[in-house]
Amino acid sequence: MAMTPDGPDAAKDVVAAGGSDLTTPIIVPNTLWTSDRPGAYLSTSPAFTHLRDLEGSALVNRDTARWGQLEVIPTKADLVVDLIRMNSLWPLLSGLACCAIEMMSAATSKNDMDRWGMFPFRASPRQADVLIVAGTLTTKMAGPLVRLWEQMPEPKWCVAMGDCTCSGGRYKRSYSTIEGIDRVLPVDVYVPGCPPRPEGLIYGMMKLGQLIKERRGHWPEHAIGPNVPEDV
Amino acid sequence: MTAPTGLGHHASQDDPRIMLDGQIGQYEQVPPYPTRTEREAEFYSLRDGEMFLNMGPQHPSTHGVLRVVLKINGENVVDLDPVLGYLHRGVEKLCENSDYHHVISQIDPLEYVSSLFMEWAPVMSFEQLLDVKVPRRAEYIRVLTGELLRIASHVLFQGWMALDLGGLAPILYSFIERDEIVEMLAALTGQRMLFNYFRIGGVNGDLNHEFMSRLGDWMSRALVQHEANIGLLNENEIFVRRMRDIGRLDGETAKRMGVSGPNIRAAGVPFDVRRAHPYSVYPELEFDIPVRGTGPAGGDSLDRYLLRLDEVRESIRIIDQCLHNMPDGPVMARLPRLMRPRPGRAWAAVESPRGLFGTYVISDGTDQPFRMKIHDPSFVHLQLVGMLMKNNLIADTMAVMASLDPVMGGIDK
Repeated sequence: MAMTPDGPDAAKDVVAAGGSDLTTPIIVPNTLWTSDRPGAYLSTSPAFTHLRDLEGSALVNRDTARWGQLEVIPTKADLVVDLIRMNSLWPLLSGLACCAIEMMSAATSKNDMDRWGMFPFRASPRQADVLIVAGTLTTKMAGPLVRLWEQMPEPKWCVAMGDCTCSGGRYKRSYSTIEGIDRVLPVDVYVPGCPPRPEGLIYGMMKLGQLIKERRGHWPEHAIGPNVPEDV
Repeated sequence: MTAPTGLGHHASQDDPRIMLDGQIGQYEQVPPYPTRTEREAEFYSLRDGEMFLNMGPQHPSTHGVLRVVLKINGENVVDLDPVLGYLHRGVEKLCENSDYHHVISQIDPLEYVSSLFMEWAPVMSFEQLLDVKVPRRAEYIRVLTGELLRIASHVLFQGWMALDLGGLAPILYSFIERDEIVEMLAALTGQRMLFNYFRIGGVNGDLNHEFMSRLGDWMSRALVQHEANIGLLNENEIFVRRMRDIGRLDGETAKRMGVSGPNIRAAGVPFDVRRAHPYSVYPELEFDIPVRGTGPAGGDSLDRYLLRLDEVRESIRIIDQCLHNMPDGPVMARLPRLMRPRPGRAWAAVESPRGLFGTYVISDGTDQPFRMKIHDPSFVHLQLVGMLMKNNLIADTMAVMASLDPVMGGIDK
């Protein structure tokens, strides 16, 4: 079986070599905040972390039999939907501290985020796609912030703006702050800086668009393709 | 869910103050705890026709994360209860655990739209403790950059004021001016918002070419642009009618409540720290103190709004004089790296865009302050909210509160 170098066994060897500790992604479990859905943010043992791991898994191909030869069509439709999503990211109007001013600066005349479809800051979390956490998150504010996040409809993403939200920043030593919002929320993009320039925030949002296009961001269910219920 | 071990642990994981999924929603019960004082018991008991309306902590209209529980009867606000502490970062304790140089970087995010003033007061009090003589050029640079930032803060106030009343256009114009000012300060200090520029005994770095050329550009059109921006709102009948005759504050009440800054000057009391307790080179400079609301009824929200616009003109005057009188010389005093002032106490106050900002420092002879009390004007002005918002319509509460111009970073420290 393993005689020819391009035979099936040789390919298995390559996969085994690639599966070493170096290439496996580092998974930091989210200990404080967990979703109601057991499959949403797998903090214990995620089945996969990249889309390429999904190829050939039953999770993705569960409705292949039904779609059969049409499987290319929903894939392309997904791409179109993703393009729409990445080009009209509506942030939630929620500022906590200093970074909120720079977030407003990014939204107003000089650095006009509207050019990339990121402008309409929604006052209601039910209309927002992105939660830009701008400013120090204190222990008292953590509950309301998580509640805002819970109220946002899926799909939704989170951008951590500023050093305080990335790691604690200059208030890391304080008794009343949370050292990085990834202790309470799943974060897609980190924008460091104290505060970051508005251009930095715009760059982070563009990176988020890239994540959305490649389906690497935060998703409600780690499934791609048409989500058809089993009994249909 | 149990926290896995071996991947780093932090106290906040066990912190009962952080709400988990199951607890979310419980905090909104009113009151969130058994009432502790008579005032709470009175507030949280409803009479016929009354109801509670929760505003905040995430609300686009508040200047930061403030939660106000309004007790309303129809459209009237009967009573209200502000809930603070959503941005409490423990700045005072952090300052007391930093050495004297590091205090500057810990304190300047306090009021993030006017952070140079947050550096100015502690630096002045440390200079008193250390008996440092600041070079005159450094003092002029401090006044110059401070007044620039005062303009940035006041034009932002104008935009926010309109935004809180539902007008979106003025903030777009405000941010043009503000971005221009912070960009020129970034050319000088390296940062757009939290400058970390003042040092004990001077400032960090002399004026450079890019700053001066940007400043010259901006000064050539500042007044014209300011007048144009004023015209956006001051000639708007809806705006003026909504602002007039709400939130009246008279001078006696203002003095009794410890109000300072533009809010007391709009109540008819000409109190300005730059004139009342002169510091830096302000005695050498020529500027007026605008006063409004001198009648017996005091000033309303419109007066507080207009007074800040008057102050912008005065600040432009001060900047002009600073540029003409700027002396040559060093910008830093010669000081040792490690500072151990003699045991003692010092109080220094500056006129920040929101009022009297002061720090009271106790030194015990080590390289860290033993105690550092921060007096913030926004905290004092928030006391007025309960007095001025009462018996107004719900729609007017934000017009009153925005005209006081509080910043939550300074209130919660």
